[in-house]
Amino acid sequence: MHLSPYKKTHFNNNIPHLHHHHHHIHDDDASPIDMHNNTTTTNSTSLCSSDSGEPCEDGKWACKLLKECAIAISQRDSTKIHHLLWMLNELASPYGDLDQKLASYFLQALFCKATESGHRCYKTLSTVAQKSNNFDSARKLILKFQEVSPWTTFGHVAANGAILEALEGESNLHIIDISNTLCTQWPTLFEALATRKDETPRLRLTVVALSSATVSSVMKEVGQRMEKFARLMGVPFEFNVINGLDRLGELTKESLGITNDEAIAVNCIGALRRIEVEERESAIRMFRSLNPKVVTVVEEEADFSSNRNDFVQCFEECLKFYGLYFEMLEESFPLTSNERLMLERDCSRSIVRVLACGGGDEQNNNKEEFEDCCERRERGRQWCEKLKKEFSGAKFSDDVVDDVKALLKRYRGGWSLVLPQQQQQEEGHNSNYNNNTLSGIFLTWKEEPVVWASAWKP
Amino acid sequence: MMILQNMDHGELSNAFPHHQNQNPTTTPPPSLKRKRNLPGNPDPEAEVIALSPKTLMATNRFLCETCGKGFQRDQNLQLHRRGHNLPWKLKQRTNKEPKKRVYVCPEKTCVHNHPSRALGDLTGIKKHFCRKHGEKKWKCDKCSKRYAVQSDWKAHSKTCGTREYKCDCGTIFSRRDSFITHRAFCDALAEETARVNAASSINNSTLGANNNNNNIIGYNNMMIGTSMAPHNNNNNNNMATQFASICNKPIPFTEEATNNQTTTRGLSLWMDHHHHHRQEATMATNNNNYHLNWVFGSKISTNPSQDLSSNNTITSTTTTSLPILGSIVNVPSLYSSQHQPHQTCASSSSANMSATALLQKAAQVGATSSDPSSFLGALGLKCSNGSDQGQDGNNNKFCGVYGSSLVLTSSSNNINREAEKNELSQMHPSKRRHVMPNEESGGGQTRDFLGVGGANHHLPPFINQSLDLI
Repeated sequence: MHLSPYKKTHFNNNIPHLHHHHHHIHDDDASPIDMHNNTTTTNSTSLCSSDSGEPCEDGKWACKLLKECAIAISQRDSTKIHHLLWMLNELASPYGDLDQKLASYFLQALFCKATESGHRCYKTLSTVAQKSNNFDSARKLILKFQEVSPWTTFGHVAANGAILEALEGESNLHIIDISNTLCTQWPTLFEALATRKDETPRLRLTVVALSSATVSSVMKEVGQRMEKFARLMGVPFEFNVINGLDRLGELTKESLGITNDEAIAVNCIGALRRIEVEERESAIRMFRSLNPKVVTVVEEEADFSSNRNDFVQCFEECLKFYGLYFEMLEESFPLTSNERLMLERDCSRSIVRVLACGGGDEQNNNKEEFEDCCERRERGRQWCEKLKKEFSGAKFSDDVVDDVKALLKRYRGGWSLVLPQQQQQEEGHNSNYNNNTLSGIFLTWKEEPVVWASAWKP
Repeated sequence: MMILQNMDHGELSNAFPHHQNQNPTTTPPPSLKRKRNLPGNPDPEAEVIALSPKTLMATNRFLCETCGKGFQRDQNLQLHRRGHNLPWKLKQRTNKEPKKRVYVCPEKTCVHNHPSRALGDLTGIKKHFCRKHGEKKWKCDKCSKRYAVQSDWKAHSKTCGTREYKCDCGTIFSRRDSFITHRAFCDALAEETARVNAASSINNSTLGANNNNNNIIGYNNMMIGTSMAPHNNNNNNNMATQFASICNKPIPFTEEATNNQTTTRGLSLWMDHHHHHRQEATMATNNNNYHLNWVFGSKISTNPSQDLSSNNTITSTTTTSLPILGSIVNVPSLYSSQHQPHQTCASSSSANMSATALLQKAAQVGATSSDPSSFLGALGLKCSNGSDQGQDGNNNKFCGVYGSSLVLTSSSNNINREAEKNELSQMHPSKRRHVMPNEESGGGQTRDFLGVGGANHHLPPFINQSLDLI
């Protein structure tokens, strides 16, 4: 039977859940969307052709439909919403091609947004993910990803290079690692320390596990491996983990166990975006108070922050970023890869979190339940603005840049390194930013900047 | 002094009295890492020459006395001298310049700028200056590594990308960084330490206070109680030292190093079939194997699934040629199936070299040589057998190098195996990973569009049910 927007009764009969749904969907203003009424009629033929002119990465159907649906949700056009959701559901599949995958995961988020079930969905997804999470699978996943794509290793190599140079000559090192990398960044650093011409320094590593029970349970094992490996390399080593931290700003010198005789490096990989937007500046101030020799910041190049009150804009940005990411995953992994599937599923949680877990609606009272903060990414330039207030940008040395370039050569094509001057030119003559110099280097995938890595000194 | 005339830009200091405050012949205090540029203990009688960078790079090593023309090679100089039609007397090559010359580095901040650390070789100081203070003009195509000295670049390019790294678990890597990261997380690493701990705890009681066993006892003491990372600085140094030595860095056993007798005596203990020494060796070799795997890029195949009992066959076919080894006694771990004995033999002579020197040496020999014996030959060891790539063949060859007549009694083997199993079961139950089901659900689980299991009632049935309509 063909469903059309005009036959509303079918919808009514088949959505008992929604029918009893007491919370109404509301967007920016208070008036609820009544999903059961046909407030506006739409011409079915216009649905496919009314692309707003925003270019899609692949110019295929998923982007168009998804954007349409997002617009419909922001306009509270329930008929259109219904229709589009239905269409997307028909066409979507997490096991299909790129379009089908994007459709599938974004449909989920859109649905949650439309039905205000974002938090519940997110919780469910998280619980499911945690069940199948253990050291072996996490390790396998992260190592495989690093083998096929420089997405994460780019930041590692750049950060390690900056850290080694900044801590040159020091004999007591303390690295504060705020990331979810499961310490995959550090073995090469151990090796570099061990093969230095002068004395091998003592190294303390304090990992601040970025929320998520999945990471915490695994960190114990990770720590043991690191200790063993450091022993093997002949690096005097001490490992600590700080778990269950609600707010990064709560970290102090004492809670990190910093002593006066050590040289500090703060390493933030995907960390800053996990801080609540309002608290980011104070967290940066906290870093400054630790008096580090260097702070390395690696973030993904996307902006879900400045547009967080504009659903459609945020949605488009999200779609663009994850579209790139999924495409990259598809081209990096072999065709039937479980690891890729896992990574895609991880994304689905993030997407739901960003798009459908807005503030002020259901179940947002107890924030502690949601260990994972909403990852409101910002672009490198935006981070620069914030970091400049407490630090000054440190240029990566030629050697480090060479190392990164060499790293990229080891992967399949499509990747390149872009220096800040080049990126500034790319971004055009934006009058806001003319005076500011951009810090850090960019990893680009098919000419699109995707990851930003930077180093900062007090 | 022909040289003086050409040095318009250079400064000269003549006959610098060396014996002021420095005593260049003093052995530097035993350091944990020996600096590669240890030269820099020049002859006190030598003439110290300080040249400007420009002059330094222009200076040639071989100079014609007649006209002062400079040449890079001695043969070229001789050829040139013929052209001067010198009388017979002067045709003879003069003796080597009676006054030895040493050169300081022009770079003021450099440690070799000081006369007490001058380098005796003109080519050497030229290369040093370029490497440390020069512009890196030469770049490797494959890996983007940059070099200031052309010969360095050439040497690197030959081997870049050709080296392979193999982990104990059997995986092979072409990239060093991914190998290192893998190794840090590999289960083989965890097991190795478990086995080592087991060995050390068994072995504790059987050691005597034999001085010749200094190294061995040292290792043993270090291995016991290695579960925690060291906090005490002294402990750190000791541990790091010991481990560093295993990992191809020199340890301050300089006395043993020069005392061949001690070494031989130490080896003779091995020869005496004391099986407990073997266990100590495994600690060393286990850790050594790690470094060896990646330094030497051995392509000898590993069979991780080989069970322990087969080691007995390996030991029975050894020869007994005995090379003089370095201060560290490294004996192949014959009871460990996963650690190839053949890989350890190269380590011993390299124990006193830094890791970087080791890598350079490996580069010179050619890392992908399918005949490891040529590599070992370069390091001064001999392999008595041919280049048989088979598992047993290789073991024979390398065991031969050591004259490893370690005869394992079956009882000791069993003890180790059991201890190892116990350790393993205690430490990492997840190590029995071979039977772990694949938790990634490519198939098997039904998933609706939200990607979760079907039993979840929170999922809105809207979407699913709509399908039924059709």
